Amino acid sequence: MILERQILDHALTLLIVIPLVGLVPLLFFMRDERAAKQVAIVTTFVELVVSLVVLGQFRIGEAGFQMTDSVMWLPSLGIRYEVGVDGISVLLVVLTTLLTFISVLYSSGGAIKTRVGEFMAAFLLLEVGMVGVFVALDLFLFYVFFELMLVPMYLIIGIWGGTRRIYATLKFVLFTLAGSLIMLVAIVAVYLASGDAGSRTLSFADLVNDTSRFPPDFQFWAFFAFALAFAIKLPMVPFHTWLPDAHVEAPTAGSIILAGILLKAGGYGLIRFALPLFPLGAQAWLPLILLLSVVAIIYGAAVSTVQKDLKKLVAYSSVAHMGFVTLGIFVLNVQGGVGAILQMLNHGVVTGALFLFVGIQYERTHRRLIADLGGLANKWPLYTTFFGIFVLASLGLPGLNGFVGEFLVLVGAFKFDGQPVSGLVWGPLAAIGVILAAVYLLWMFQRVMYGPVREAYKDLPDLSPVEVASALPLLVLTIALGVFPQPFIRIIEPSLERMLAFASAAAVAVK
Amino acid sequence: MTDLVAILPETIVTAAAVVVLAVAAIWGDARVRAWLPWLTLLGLIAALASPVAYPASGLFFGGFAVVDQFTAFFRLTFIVLAAFTAVIAPPYLRREGVPEAEFYATVLFSTVGAMTIALATDLITLFVGIELMSIPVYVLAGLQRRDRYANEAALKYFLLGAFSSAILVYGFAWLFGIAGSTDLVHVSAAVAKAGLGSPEVVVALALVTAGLGFKAAVVPFHQWTPDAYDGAPTPSTAFMSVAPKAAAFAAILRVMATALGPVQLDWALVFAVLAVVTMTGGNVVALVQTNVKRMLAYSSIAHTGYILAGVAALAAGTSAGAAVLFYLFAYGIMNLGAFASLTLLDLEGTRGATLDELNGLWSRHSSGALAFTIFLVNLTGIPPTIGFLGKFLMIQPVLDAGFGWVAVAIALNAALAAFYYLRVVVHMFMYDPEAGAPRIEGARILSVSLVVVAVITILLGVLPDPVYAFALRGAEPVVIR
Repeated sequence: MILERQILDHALTLLIVIPLVGLVPLLFFMRDERAAKQVAIVTTFVELVVSLVVLGQFRIGEAGFQMTDSVMWLPSLGIRYEVGVDGISVLLVVLTTLLTFISVLYSSGGAIKTRVGEFMAAFLLLEVGMVGVFVALDLFLFYVFFELMLVPMYLIIGIWGGTRRIYATLKFVLFTLAGSLIMLVAIVAVYLASGDAGSRTLSFADLVNDTSRFPPDFQFWAFFAFALAFAIKLPMVPFHTWLPDAHVEAPTAGSIILAGILLKAGGYGLIRFALPLFPLGAQAWLPLILLLSVVAIIYGAAVSTVQKDLKKLVAYSSVAHMGFVTLGIFVLNVQGGVGAILQMLNHGVVTGALFLFVGIQYERTHRRLIADLGGLANKWPLYTTFFGIFVLASLGLPGLNGFVGEFLVLVGAFKFDGQPVSGLVWGPLAAIGVILAAVYLLWMFQRVMYGPVREAYKDLPDLSPVEVASALPLLVLTIALGVFPQPFIRIIEPSLERMLAFASAAAVAVK
Repeated sequence: MTDLVAILPETIVTAAAVVVLAVAAIWGDARVRAWLPWLTLLGLIAALASPVAYPASGLFFGGFAVVDQFTAFFRLTFIVLAAFTAVIAPPYLRREGVPEAEFYATVLFSTVGAMTIALATDLITLFVGIELMSIPVYVLAGLQRRDRYANEAALKYFLLGAFSSAILVYGFAWLFGIAGSTDLVHVSAAVAKAGLGSPEVVVALALVTAGLGFKAAVVPFHQWTPDAYDGAPTPSTAFMSVAPKAAAFAAILRVMATALGPVQLDWALVFAVLAVVTMTGGNVVALVQTNVKRMLAYSSIAHTGYILAGVAALAAGTSAGAAVLFYLFAYGIMNLGAFASLTLLDLEGTRGATLDELNGLWSRHSSGALAFTIFLVNLTGIPPTIGFLGKFLMIQPVLDAGFGWVAVAIALNAALAAFYYLRVVVHMFMYDPEAGAPRIEGARILSVSLVVVAVITILLGVLPDPVYAFALRGAEPVVIR
């Protein structure tokens, strides 16, 4: 019992440690493909189970952080090791462990053929960073995990990617790193502004209690630096150019994680840190962010329409979907915020699934250009059913998960009554994006799945059991989130209100 | 007697150098030579341990030397760097036929010089230390006598080094002229009296900055660096790129904080500008290098810039000095490790590897490629490494001192540098080996020690507190009051 209590108390730390523990045997079995795959699958599965236990232990309806773990880490700097989850992060943690498990499972099925041991090691290291980002409650710790995600993903794209992988991976790393280094300067500035020497801190709980210590000028630039790092990660227009390249070149599992989790780290950072810590800065930059969000929604959708490459189409659709996330966060009301977080979860599930299916299809046909495909529907009934549902979810069909998030964001956008332009402008503009999504996704589906089947594709097999096993949890989530969004909203809502309250309280205090 | 106890570590290192030379001269065969690095290591460990057994602190030799926490921190740094050099050097030295005993002895002598700088409270001691540190390093650069690049490196390094020493000593003469004393504390009082902007102080300041700037490779006094680093035998380069730089910064800290501390307003902005110019200059040129050794040479100039930013921010108090000390320690390990990783490749002569020669190193020598990658990640400043902490700790006093633009320059430069550091990783992991390139065998001690040190850089990146707390104590004597 005592042991059980101990484990539950430190479950989040355990989540960070498990993949590291898995790395140890992996290093010994580096050259043994079978063993490496087994170690990775077992590790990510245990991780998934522990994260579900965390979700099970989560007390729904509470706004604050739960299951916190906190020890002094660097006494001479006053920096703490502090982890915890609230309604915003707990679901993202589970999404992370789930998608990682699926990626590893799918990759063991034969999608990765060279250097399997190294691939699995990179994935476990990546998982440490991703989980850490969502549970870290100290800015220093958060930054460490934020950057920790970089190197493994760099290797995953660069080693196991397509023909232009090196260009793509360098672009990805340099874009991200430039943003986060600017954020590092801002983090240090926050540290210095947090108090006098000896009482300085980077703990989120301490910082957010009194944001009046950050003068408006300071907040303007600090918010800019944070938002820049997260906008590149997310990515927002005009920082999105790395995304199509990275997605096109990344191996399937890399794309799933990149779209499913890494982008979310940007959205999460905005809502967790940038907004509550620098509410005045957020107010100042609000109009620009809303404008860029709507631009992203329309531009992303428009560019998706004309893509010839399947992966690029999904990548650009991510830009549009992430536009909904930033729009939802920065209309600063509950509907928008809850919608934004649901949109992040939905996008993680659905776009992860879309990349999975594009990858499955590519593995068989070795074609990614839409024009080269067609007629697969008759040959692959199972594939078509799965893929069709995910496409419909992505375009926001009611009853599937995509609808819920986008709908709430749109409600939030219409309700926005801020300056200089009210929600009655943002809402309809964003709605155009929903319509365009239907256009490009359905058109793509039609060209890829229907029409005459090509001779070369006649004998290609339908989904294998491993592939079905990989996709099934995502399908279940797609439907569950679409039909019963209420339990998820109940988890998210209190914590989100708390973050928004931090933001508005400070704004009111100044007025 | 207490004077002699105070300099026990320096004495032991000197003795170790003599013993190494004597042993090699008496028993010249290969079996004995194989033990020389371990003998060197033993001497260094004894030197490190001796202050624990015989502690000393305070002023010695009638005020010519001081033992304080600053001294202690730099002793640790220099000894660690010399020890690391001794462990990684043998395979290269044997392959290229570089005289081994001379190599270890020269490294030890140079270390004594560097340690003397850390002891100095007087311009004379300081200058003796600088020369004692520099001259063996000129020898190290040219130790591979039959290689013409090594000859060029040694000659260039020697001529420009001698030139910069002359400038430096001329600057010291001006300081002596102002104060009538060579004691740093007396100089400080006289400088304070002469006041901000007085012409003689400005002249002395300019000369001292130029002289020490040469030693530390500050742009625009860096011209010797690429050729000297490139042409020298790689283990020498590894040592040259870190220990003399750390020693130069020890001298800069002592002179700037103590002697010229009162006119800090005169030089802080100059140093800030020099810092930005140095980091940017080094990085921009490093970007276009295809020879990795030369690229690392330019990158070491960039790191000088980051460290110099901390000197410019000395007004921020202990945190600035501590940041400089911590960065020097971190830089020393990671840069030495990066150069040492290059010695794994069995290439002719002193020239380092081109990027293409590193292709597929991961499949040719996994542990070496892994260690090299970790050192490069350190140099890039990605957590959780000691290199990242160095940058984090550096930005803090820089912002605190009001140099926000320098902090932004550090961030942008780090992103710029990431491009060329990570390009090396690209070649090691993402390209296939060139046709016929064999797996690299042997050099077990080298690769094991590289991996061990690489892991230590990560451990210290996760738990840096012991080192940082030491750096904070070490920075106390160089706080500008």
